[in-house]
Amino acid sequence: MPKVTHEFRDPIHDFISVSNDERRVIDSNPVQRLRHVHQLAMSYLVYPGATHRRFEHSLGVMELAGQVFDVVTHRENITDQIRELVPELSEPDNFPYWRKILRMAALCHDIGHLPFSHAAEHQLLPAGHETLTHELLLNEMHDVWESMAPPVDAQTIAKLAVGQSKAGAVRFSTWEALLSEIIVGDAFGVDRIDYLLRDSHHAGVAYGKFDHHRLISTLRILPRPPVGNGSDGEDDEDESREPLLGIEHGGIHAAEALLLARYFMFSQVYYHPVRLMYDVHLQDFLREWLPGGKYPGDPAGHLAMTDIEVLAGIRLAALNPGAGGHEPARRIQDRDHFRVLYERNPADAEINPEPGEAIFRKVAEVFGEENVRHKRITGKGGNVDFPVLARDGRVGSSIAFSQTLQNLSPIAVDSVFISKEHLANAMRLLRKEGPSIVKAAMEGSAE
Amino acid sequence: MNRFAKAAVLTRLRDELARRGSWCGETHIQKATVFLQEVGRVPLGFDFVLYKHGPFSFDLRSELNALRADGLLVLEPQPYPYGPRLATTALGDRVQSRFPKTLETYSGAITRVADFVRNRGVASLERLGTALYLIRESTLEDDYALAAELRRVKPHVSEADAMKAIEEVRELI
Repeated sequence: MPKVTHEFRDPIHDFISVSNDERRVIDSNPVQRLRHVHQLAMSYLVYPGATHRRFEHSLGVMELAGQVFDVVTHRENITDQIRELVPELSEPDNFPYWRKILRMAALCHDIGHLPFSHAAEHQLLPAGHETLTHELLLNEMHDVWESMAPPVDAQTIAKLAVGQSKAGAVRFSTWEALLSEIIVGDAFGVDRIDYLLRDSHHAGVAYGKFDHHRLISTLRILPRPPVGNGSDGEDDEDESREPLLGIEHGGIHAAEALLLARYFMFSQVYYHPVRLMYDVHLQDFLREWLPGGKYPGDPAGHLAMTDIEVLAGIRLAALNPGAGGHEPARRIQDRDHFRVLYERNPADAEINPEPGEAIFRKVAEVFGEENVRHKRITGKGGNVDFPVLARDGRVGSSIAFSQTLQNLSPIAVDSVFISKEHLANAMRLLRKEGPSIVKAAMEGSAE
Repeated sequence: MNRFAKAAVLTRLRDELARRGSWCGETHIQKATVFLQEVGRVPLGFDFVLYKHGPFSFDLRSELNALRADGLLVLEPQPYPYGPRLATTALGDRVQSRFPKTLETYSGAITRVADFVRNRGVASLERLGTALYLIRESTLEDDYALAAELRRVKPHVSEADAMKAIEEVRELI
């Protein structure tokens, strides 16, 4: 008798079971390509174990998406109010179809990723990898969807895979918005749940671990928490009723742990200063190495380009001083990355909200722009407000429930880097003039 | 408009909303900003899409988080079960004071939008914001057709409320 399910061993979820249809998607070229795209770009130059790929992450996201779907659609977890707002929840016969669509979307959500994932995406594909994901799902994978019985709706899969924030003017129904939130949602998206656990495991750091089993078992579809209408905080009559993904009260500590894990993983791993510098050297290399300095935005060109081709290019360019991209390739190959010169601190930020920009301008003026880089990233991890179902049956804001979440600030990176040969002199300059540079830039920005 | 000038406008808008009794949660700021940009013609450059609670800008959400990270805004928790408010910090005030010309240029638009949004709740703002979005983006011209479209995308809105929202926004623009 032919097999109807297949299993993958996985270090995070032990076993991941897939159906024949899912196996067909996994075997497609766009998904197989992810075996050759590092999940954490060149983080392996800082954390040697972080050599895992987008492929296994995609399997993990699919596995978790199915788990979350089963919890939030379980009849005991749906209130009458939510059933009224989301009619699809009253049609359990359709659940297997929606579950299948959701898992397919989760499996394919990253197929548009450039080589080395996010490292050079902003520079080479400003619209984001989601645009390529969307296009590949609708065109390249058309035959895969059509071959299924019954055929699945590629448009819906594409919507769920990229989510509302990257879907432009495409409108989502309440149900579709909830399903896409399961994959790419800010607070409890399974993309995030899997990458925190997986990246933490492979990088060998404990920051990303949390009780995801407990968290998932407490996820619920809930109405949005109330806000007062006036400054007195009274009047609940004029509340929006549209539902969101939230948790029941028993999961609040697991949710805190997830959001703390996100905070620490971003500050310690994803935004590690040396990793950020390798991103910059990689961007410099790709701009010089790619024909015309542009990433092949067409599906065929994209599918032909993985980390393997780029790494081979780096090795060749590093050996040949006349090759395009030689200098950044050499820096990557020889681990001769730029060094941290300045990192934002609370005292400077109190004077000038963008101290790194001020320092960068001055240091670039003195030591040459080619020897200095500025990296500024702010606002990551700021969304911690979600609905919580309390013991008394009311739905409240997570911020009202949790002092931990009240004190969790968005992450801010504002750092300046310089080539090793100029580091000592630049340090001397900053010791002498740093505070006055930061202050003068703020005063100079006034009208 | 550079980032600090934009921050000055956004924090001033928040302050004017607070002065008129707005709750000043993220949804209130989002809806007030879409009116400021689309009706007040203040070139903030945010992309708005029709989302769960009406027009919503993911760029603006990122910017509000960035302003929190930079210390210009702060999240103020409220007693259970209410959601948090956003408040301007002393640093946010200082940034405003450095952009008198920008704020003077847009003060009329900020006042007009703050008067319109005042202490309205999120459901009311969802209806009005959606009405504005449809009036701007839809090819429909007849108000009854627009109200029907509003009910199609927001089925929980009553016929009377949909029509009233279209009329109120027409009056504003």
